[in-house]
Amino acid sequence: MNSFKRAWWRLTAHPGKTALMTGLFFVICTLVLSGFLIRSAAARAAESAKRSVGAVVTMQLDVNALIDSGGGSGDGRPRTIGEEGRLKRGLVDRICASSVVASCNYSKDGVAAPSEEFRLHVPVPAPAGQDTGGTDFFKADGILDLDEVKDFRSGDAKIVAGRGITPDSKDDALVVEERVAKDNKLKVGDRVTLNANVQHPDGRLTTKETEFTVVGVYRSGTPDPRTYVPSMMAPSNQIYVTPDGATRLDGKEVGKDGGDLAQATFTLRDPSDLDRLKKDAEAAGADLKVFPMSVNDKQFKQLVGPITKTADFATVTVWLVALAGTVILALIVASSLRERRKELGILLSLGERKPRLLGQQLVEVAACALLAIGCAAAGSQFLSQAVGDRLLAGNVSAAAAEADSRDQGPGLSNTAGGGAAADDTPEADPVDSLDVRIGPADLAKVGATGLGIAALATLVPGARVLRLNPRDILTKGD
Amino acid sequence: MTAPILQLTGVSRAYESGNRRRTVLKNADFAFESGRMYAVVGPSGSGKSTLLSLASGLDSPTTGTVRFRGRDIAELGLGRYRNRHAATVFQSLNLLTYMTAVQNITSAMEITGVRGMRGSRRKQRAVELLDLLGVEREDQNRRTLQLSGGQQQRVAIARALACEVDILFADEPTGALDHETAAGIIEVFRKLAHDEGKCVIVVTHSREVAEASDQVLQLKRGKLTVT
Repeated sequence: MNSFKRAWWRLTAHPGKTALMTGLFFVICTLVLSGFLIRSAAARAAESAKRSVGAVVTMQLDVNALIDSGGGSGDGRPRTIGEEGRLKRGLVDRICASSVVASCNYSKDGVAAPSEEFRLHVPVPAPAGQDTGGTDFFKADGILDLDEVKDFRSGDAKIVAGRGITPDSKDDALVVEERVAKDNKLKVGDRVTLNANVQHPDGRLTTKETEFTVVGVYRSGTPDPRTYVPSMMAPSNQIYVTPDGATRLDGKEVGKDGGDLAQATFTLRDPSDLDRLKKDAEAAGADLKVFPMSVNDKQFKQLVGPITKTADFATVTVWLVALAGTVILALIVASSLRERRKELGILLSLGERKPRLLGQQLVEVAACALLAIGCAAAGSQFLSQAVGDRLLAGNVSAAAAEADSRDQGPGLSNTAGGGAAADDTPEADPVDSLDVRIGPADLAKVGATGLGIAALATLVPGARVLRLNPRDILTKGD
Repeated sequence: MTAPILQLTGVSRAYESGNRRRTVLKNADFAFESGRMYAVVGPSGSGKSTLLSLASGLDSPTTGTVRFRGRDIAELGLGRYRNRHAATVFQSLNLLTYMTAVQNITSAMEITGVRGMRGSRRKQRAVELLDLLGVEREDQNRRTLQLSGGQQQRVAIARALACEVDILFADEPTGALDHETAAGIIEVFRKLAHDEGKCVIVVTHSREVAEASDQVLQLKRGKLTVT
């Protein structure tokens, strides 16, 4: 108690020194608190971004891994993908049931031969005499959810009549491009016949008529090519069916396991849930060496990139300020202790214990720190909002410039239905505002930091107090 | 003869300075009794302050022992000895300048843990002592830096008295005082020794103080003799 009283008397007796110490602490605490506030605002924004975009995980066959694992059928014949190389729909459905999956989709690449009543759209006929090489097919992709297909997610394609394919769609659902619909005078609800190619065990190839119902018409954002391309490559000849529909177009019956898929995509609620998803997938029976999962968190990174940089800068600032503050305060305290040698000697001569002398010094510094923390709490929110917004604006501009330079670089775009790494994620606008809010946790952190600095800055130079000898201080030594 | 309250036995103190070793106090033997006032005299550099430092527990002898009521003060703990049994009025006053006269005294009482006194009682005792030593009431609540040298000396003595210790050491307590005030201080010391039963040991150059003492010890080149 005596230490507290003496500390109070000393602080009030030397208002200039008290103000200097408090002012220094105010600067330190304001910067540290601002750093904490920017960091926590960035963390909140990142959390919100995670919830809003999640991350897309793609699962598909890695042929090399399959060969390395000894999979595929051999027997001296050319190797073909065996049972272990097939991505079963039943397996994917089990993985989709994982609690970390917000939504999932899968696709099955396929083709369908046109029929008399359902013809291909041919914008530019094949040059005379050119063999079309058996490419006069519709490209028929079996998908679970049309909204999750790249072109529809990005807005390049959209439904203009009817509805898209959904998990609830019937097996015979078909969505066609509006140019094909126009050529064939098709409207929603019409029944059409497509020819499935049937590969027989003896190698024969026949066709089998398969009926579908047009449930939707979409408009592709890609115009017709100006030169001849094989029909299957023309954007208008892209049709969508259900995965079961695609199986039927393969000339197979839909089995209990739902047939094979080309790839599956899982949208996670949180990009950090990938490990959990992998565990769930393995538990469901997936061989992740043969069917690796790759995450595409580009959109999340685009959203939080600038704000993460701002938060990183704030973190560095917090550390630098805390370190510099500790050093400066330690020097001030060391100088103060030198100045107070006589006072310490007097107190020691009275029998005061050395730790209590240190305690008094600590109480003085901590009192200044607490006052400064209070003032910093009042002003930091405005400061950190202003500083954070400026920093973030700079980082957003830098990110935009970087994105522009990437866009102007060599074409690296992938086509739909490409590999797992295919970047089919729409561009995301980064988070460009900080919601700075001061809360009890921030105050607790800055309080702990401020008092920690006070303790370090007092106790390190204060160690010399423990070596003080009152006789040396108070007598002339004769 | 009563049992000594403080006994020096073969006490020497040497200081190292580079390769040189200087012995400031040589083999001092003396027994101090309660109820008596002692004066330690000698020329400058004779070892008076060293003797006072050793006897008051501010320093430890190189050889020999200092015993309080028969117990080595090193065993007792120098801090504890200073805290409970010995108080010192220094030549250079040594008051805490950021405190008032009263605060200097009450603070010392808190540190030494004067028994049976709490906040208001301590303050009352401080005022009594300052009144006794002639410090005006209006000066009692001033910071000591604002007081004259004589007033500061009185505050320093009041602080030592307030701690209710058994032995009071004083290093040139009247050096900064006028003749009349010095006489008053000497009288206070005598009363403390004779009426309160304290052992008062004063290091001084003053003939008046020496004459007022019950016994005078002389130090010359580190050797202690009784005159």
